Amino acid sequence: MAKFLLLAFRNVFRNRRRTMMTLLMVGGGVAGLLLVGGFFAFMFWGLRENTINSGLGHLQIFTADHFNRDEVRVLDTGIDNWRQVAANVKTGGHVRGVAPRIEFYGMVSNGEKSSVFMSSAVDPVAENSLGFRTRFASGRDLDSKPGGEVEALIGAGLAKSMNVKVGDGLTLLAMTSDGALNGVDVQIVGIVNSGIAEMDARYLRITLPSAQRLLQSDRVTNLVVGLDRTENTDQVAAELAPQLRGLPQQLVLKKWIDLANYYKQVRTLFSTIFVFLGVIVFFMVLMSSVNTLLMTMFERTREIGTMLAMGTPRAWIVSLFMVEATVIGILGALVGLVAGNLLGFLLNHSGIHLPPPPGNTVPMPFLVRHVPSLMIGSSLLVIVSLALASILPAIRASRLKIAEALSHV
Amino acid sequence: MEELVNVEAVSRRFSLDNGSPHHQARSFVSALSDASLRVTTGEFLAISGPSGSGKTTLLNLIGCIDQPTSGRILVDGVDTSKLKPGSMATLRREKIGFVFQTFNLIPVFTAAENVEYPLLIQGVGSRERRSRVAEALESVGLSARAQQRPDLLSGGERQRVAVARAIVHRPALVLADEPTANLDTHNATQLIELMHGLNQRLGLTFIFSTHDARLLEHTERIVRLCDGEVVSDNSTEGGIRG
Repeated sequence: MAKFLLLAFRNVFRNRRRTMMTLLMVGGGVAGLLLVGGFFAFMFWGLRENTINSGLGHLQIFTADHFNRDEVRVLDTGIDNWRQVAANVKTGGHVRGVAPRIEFYGMVSNGEKSSVFMSSAVDPVAENSLGFRTRFASGRDLDSKPGGEVEALIGAGLAKSMNVKVGDGLTLLAMTSDGALNGVDVQIVGIVNSGIAEMDARYLRITLPSAQRLLQSDRVTNLVVGLDRTENTDQVAAELAPQLRGLPQQLVLKKWIDLANYYKQVRTLFSTIFVFLGVIVFFMVLMSSVNTLLMTMFERTREIGTMLAMGTPRAWIVSLFMVEATVIGILGALVGLVAGNLLGFLLNHSGIHLPPPPGNTVPMPFLVRHVPSLMIGSSLLVIVSLALASILPAIRASRLKIAEALSHV
Repeated sequence: MEELVNVEAVSRRFSLDNGSPHHQARSFVSALSDASLRVTTGEFLAISGPSGSGKTTLLNLIGCIDQPTSGRILVDGVDTSKLKPGSMATLRREKIGFVFQTFNLIPVFTAAENVEYPLLIQGVGSRERRSRVAEALESVGLSARAQQRPDLLSGGERQRVAVARAIVHRPALVLADEPTANLDTHNATQLIELMHGLNQRLGLTFIFSTHDARLLEHTERIVRLCDGEVVSDNSTEGGIRG
């Protein structure tokens, strides 16, 4: 067996130039997949962490009614005893903190013009403790201290639409939990830029106590749970779910992936593109390798005839060609792994930025992640491609008529 | 002496179609017609004749790398016309050694590895392989060149490696197709003496095709072919029957 493998290995380097060309082609395919896949992986990772750290959190707790029916009045599907629930959740492992939120909407007016807003009322201390990032175009974050004027952050688009800046005042109007109309004057302390234009055109944030006063309710819409690492989400969710089942109000736990529809759509789209690229690389390697291996077979016709004449089983000839192709595949994969990782390293240190994606306003860095599963997958793809490409030449070689093969010039 | 090869009224025709599947009137060329030959163990037999006389065809048929159109061939008592391809390969592997005009060594193997190859495909253990390879190379006087690849060997050395490869698995029969055709006089003479010596010392049966007069001088039995027919056989026992 060792001699047989040695023969296959030496045959690979018989025509060095052709082997180098094949290795470059196979390696190029692997490197291309690593770069594209690594960039997609970076995009997925960046989008995932950005989605989570922009306020989605790793887990969210809602009442079951929140998903079963629409709210007739604001917060009528909210969580009652949220302080107790939050305190229980905080004691769990890997939990960095819990942030209560109220999601509501209403009208905002500057005295001359009114517009619809969508608000997220938060506890600034809890939000900051979870590391949720707010990108400020100007101004500062909300002050959590009670008393004084009600402070608000608004989206850059809404600020432009309402023609206001930091320090200006606005009036918010919203329906209370009793169905009455209530209003509150707020002072703008910061203008935020989420990067998503549609969101910034409607976004408004006030503190949780201010919202509860405006809405005349002690409930919250949901509790956002932040963890130490995204990878612990499943484990913590499995631990928390039984605790929530024992409470008087029926609560449900949602993982970030259940709520991140945009992330899922982007991932599905780019994964499909990547699979398509993989199929192209597979066929490129397959077709060009079939051609190369057929050339190799024709060149070695007399040698194969000699081997067959000496009584070499035909299955050995098939195996020989397949092993040779697999060796080329393995070497090509190694070339591709080295080239792909090296190019990825260089790109990561080049500081290249891409234009903002659709709906975003911030340029995206061009970074490539080194993903072990991608390296294994790409390598296997080309190795399998080469092995498949060798089947036709291998079968042809094994079926040669010995007498004709021996007289082949 | 024991009969090793029996060629009984063997003919071999090749079709001369022009490659078109619609070519109706196929013509044939007869490479060998109604040839018969008996070879006993330990013979040193030359098949002689001009180019195109059917020497290579006859050797191919005896060597089980081609099948006759009619007639039958027995090698060591086995009717090769009834064998399946796998059994024919086994017969070649175990009972026959080949020496080719163009040496046909595996270029990526060293001389020793080329000689080792027939043992490798027979599944002989590595220790025995080593000793038999050394013995075979010793018998052709190439022990010192064992680790050289064929491209670093002279034509004569390559053909001696080919002879070592043909005898290393101790076959019943060695078939050599024009073994001296690509050699100069000096190397051809050395090879003839080597083959004859192996025949004498080891009792190996050699059948070779040649039109090299130098080789024929060393040969006790010469079978002459012309236009695919056996026209003479100087054997006292083996008869011309075709």
